[in-house]
Amino acid sequence: MYSTDMDPEVAQWIEMLRSSDLDERLVAVKTLQHLGDEDAIEPLIGALYDESPMVQEIAITSLWEFANPVAINPLMDCLGSAHEKVRHEALSALKELVSTNDLMKLLDLLQTGNVYTQLNVLVLLRKIHDAQALPYILPFFQSENPDLREAAVTTLRYLNQVVRCEPALGLAKDPVEAVRRAATLTLGHLSDAGVVALLCDLLTNDSDWQVRRNAAQSLDLLAETESIPALVQAMEDPEWQVRKFTARALQKVADDRAMPALIKALTDDYSDVRRDAATALGKLSNPDALPALHQTLHDPDMDVRIFSQRAIDAIQKSMPEASHV
Amino acid sequence: MALTTQRVDVPVIVDESKCLEKCVACIEVCPLDVLVKNPETGKAYMKYDECWFCLPCEKECPTGAITVQIPFLLR
Repeated sequence: MYSTDMDPEVAQWIEMLRSSDLDERLVAVKTLQHLGDEDAIEPLIGALYDESPMVQEIAITSLWEFANPVAINPLMDCLGSAHEKVRHEALSALKELVSTNDLMKLLDLLQTGNVYTQLNVLVLLRKIHDAQALPYILPFFQSENPDLREAAVTTLRYLNQVVRCEPALGLAKDPVEAVRRAATLTLGHLSDAGVVALLCDLLTNDSDWQVRRNAAQSLDLLAETESIPALVQAMEDPEWQVRKFTARALQKVADDRAMPALIKALTDDYSDVRRDAATALGKLSNPDALPALHQTLHDPDMDVRIFSQRAIDAIQKSMPEASHV
Repeated sequence: MALTTQRVDVPVIVDESKCLEKCVACIEVCPLDVLVKNPETGKAYMKYDECWFCLPCEKECPTGAITVQIPFLLR
């Protein structure tokens, strides 16, 4: 049954892997994992289909450690397991093992009706980054399952070369907050017409603060001057994380219209907001901001003092020589 | 290393109802070799009062029988 040159100890444990006693199978699979003998790969693949999820989980871990490509397809079968630990372990293993060669198999798995498989494959596609996956991901935007919608729109932002995707814009108004949060971050990677206007609307009007924060992050990536009025308005947001990322976005799209809001933010309760506002004022290169920045040199937070000094230096450097006199 | 006198106080707690008699996973991974099998019961226990709280014994146990109690100041 086994090759003649197989280590007798390994053969003994492989034999025990077929035992009807669960305890014996557990000991066998764990020992085979520790022995690390390549002859155990085939029996361990067989153990993936064991009736006990504990044996399956250890077999997955063992095959992960062997990192042999022959185990990739059997491991994919575990992605839809009814047992959460098995699914999770298989996903972790495959995150390290899959490559672009496995793209077609993954796309085939997306067509299965198993929600767990679909969710996990959507996660794995983020590692492959291939734009060929786009047509297979789009149907999930209309899924009734919010987890699938969230996973699909998150995967979208990992696909290389995808810069336009009109259907993703609709998910920014999804009734489920988690989907809106993911969609808002994805929009920062797209350049469809109307993306900036939509993000501005989300930044100022969405009820969920994490969506507003993500909108600020996306506007930071896009760096469009069209977003300045919304960013200025968002500097008054009740959540400090939103104000912080808005100040960061204003660093990219330096515009004098934002100066009053940024100067006001220098007295914010949160030091992160004060620090990022000081940096944004430095980017404006406007000497009118100097008096306010000088006052923050006595800020109780060291970070704020350092970044204020840098902002002052930046403004003074940009001024004509004559004004220094 | 000192022998453990009060087993309830040691940091590595083994649930004997879950420990498998033929399994030696925890014993093999312990870098200090402080875990041994009780020859009478076949269950693992902490023989020496020394532990690095490195946790492979807990992680490797196939049945989740081991719990390592990490001191508060090390958490």
